[in-house]
Amino acid sequence: MPTAPGWNGLVAHLHITPRAFLPMQGQESIALVAGEGIVGDRYRIGVEQGFYSEKPEEGRQVTLFEAEALEAIRRDYKIELLPEEHRRNITTRGVPLNWLVGQRFRIGPCLVEATRLSIPCRHIEEILGREVFNPMVHRSGLNCRILEGGTVRVGDAIRPE
Amino acid sequence: MPRHITLRVVAAAEAGPGIRRLTLQDPDGWRLPRVRPGAHLDLQVPGVGPRAYSLCGDPAEEDRWVIAVRREATSRGGSAWLHEALRPGDMVASAMPRCTFPLEEAATHHVMIAGGIGVTPFLSMAPMLERAGRSWVLHVLHRGGPPPCGDDLAPWAALGRVVLHDTLSAPRPDLATLLGPHRAGIQAYCCGPPAMLEGFAAATIAWPAGAARMEHFVPPALPPDPDARPYLLVRAATGESVEVAAGESMLAALRRMGANVDSSCEGGICGACEIRWLEGEPIHRDLVLPAARRATHLMACVAHCASARLVVEA
Repeated sequence: MPTAPGWNGLVAHLHITPRAFLPMQGQESIALVAGEGIVGDRYRIGVEQGFYSEKPEEGRQVTLFEAEALEAIRRDYKIELLPEEHRRNITTRGVPLNWLVGQRFRIGPCLVEATRLSIPCRHIEEILGREVFNPMVHRSGLNCRILEGGTVRVGDAIRPE
Repeated sequence: MPRHITLRVVAAAEAGPGIRRLTLQDPDGWRLPRVRPGAHLDLQVPGVGPRAYSLCGDPAEEDRWVIAVRREATSRGGSAWLHEALRPGDMVASAMPRCTFPLEEAATHHVMIAGGIGVTPFLSMAPMLERAGRSWVLHVLHRGGPPPCGDDLAPWAALGRVVLHDTLSAPRPDLATLLGPHRAGIQAYCCGPPAMLEGFAAATIAWPAGAARMEHFVPPALPPDPDARPYLLVRAATGESVEVAAGESMLAALRRMGANVDSSCEGGICGACEIRWLEGEPIHRDLVLPAARRATHLMACVAHCASARLVVEA
């Protein structure tokens, strides 16, 4: 099985929102619960209040997005997309998310397993009122399930298991 | 109800004759989606469906939305429910607010004309214009008694920004006189009953396109299109297609195929049923889509098609 090249990243931003459509709000720390999701977030299993909660997905307990992708979207499309606007929970820096499907890695003390790449959706355009669907194709982040929970803080290391 | 925004009624009060002002918040007081001045909210009225109401609070207050609704004698169910059934503490569901009546950011002077409860979208524009240091005036025409949303208007009236015209005690003002001639940098707006909108349209008929904007309460009747022709409507997502008869509603055809498309006014004024089109030649018959957006989107409730085939994303 191929492995990702060596990398060593960190948590740049943390965001949650309790219900569909509502703005994501920045947090200094978030609590990950193994097998469920994030305390206070819309996609925590058993609490589902997300736009896509009608399509249950065990591997969507926490979602990640690269800070580098925000910079690439700015460079390529001249669109300023802020960390609270991509609607994923953890904005990473230095983590090659597209390489990690099927792999396990640590976010701070927590262990997660990447289940699939996130795909962009028109819903985000409805919320932002801006055409960001095409710019997000192929760089829309990563969905993960939580194997070991704990508290994740801004600045925590993200590293291969 | 994850496909909707869940809101709690936190305050309800009279705001003029037959007008009820409702303040809505997230159940936990979470910040709500940002709205543009002039936006409206589609509330889900139980047993009736979505009904549109202009937001009239300051858009800078991000934890609350305010609507003011007049009890209509001929209510289709929406205003009766909002007046008589809803109580503080009750939960309501809304769609994402949409703005089909935006401020023109580039304008240097804004002239707004409101008829009765048509004042509501301007109440959300006023604080934005004032903070931006823009020149603006709002004429409110009302028939006797206190004006609609009088408490909201009073501070602006004291500043001379709002001019009240009681048409019971004084002759109805001439809209062309209120507007004056078109000049560079001016943007005019009108929201009110159909007769007022017709007068506004007539008064601004020679103005450049887009310099005079209208917000309708109810969709104007669309004349039948003698050139309407049948066409094949294709859903890009599934590849399904259906024959649409000449003049038939595209929205109804989409629903025959099982497409889940929102709708509200079903008359081309609210923006709820906007969908993306990919191939073909749609005929736009709505009153809200800007020209540039028509290149990619249409309003399914009123659009027709000039080509034999139309592919849509729905």
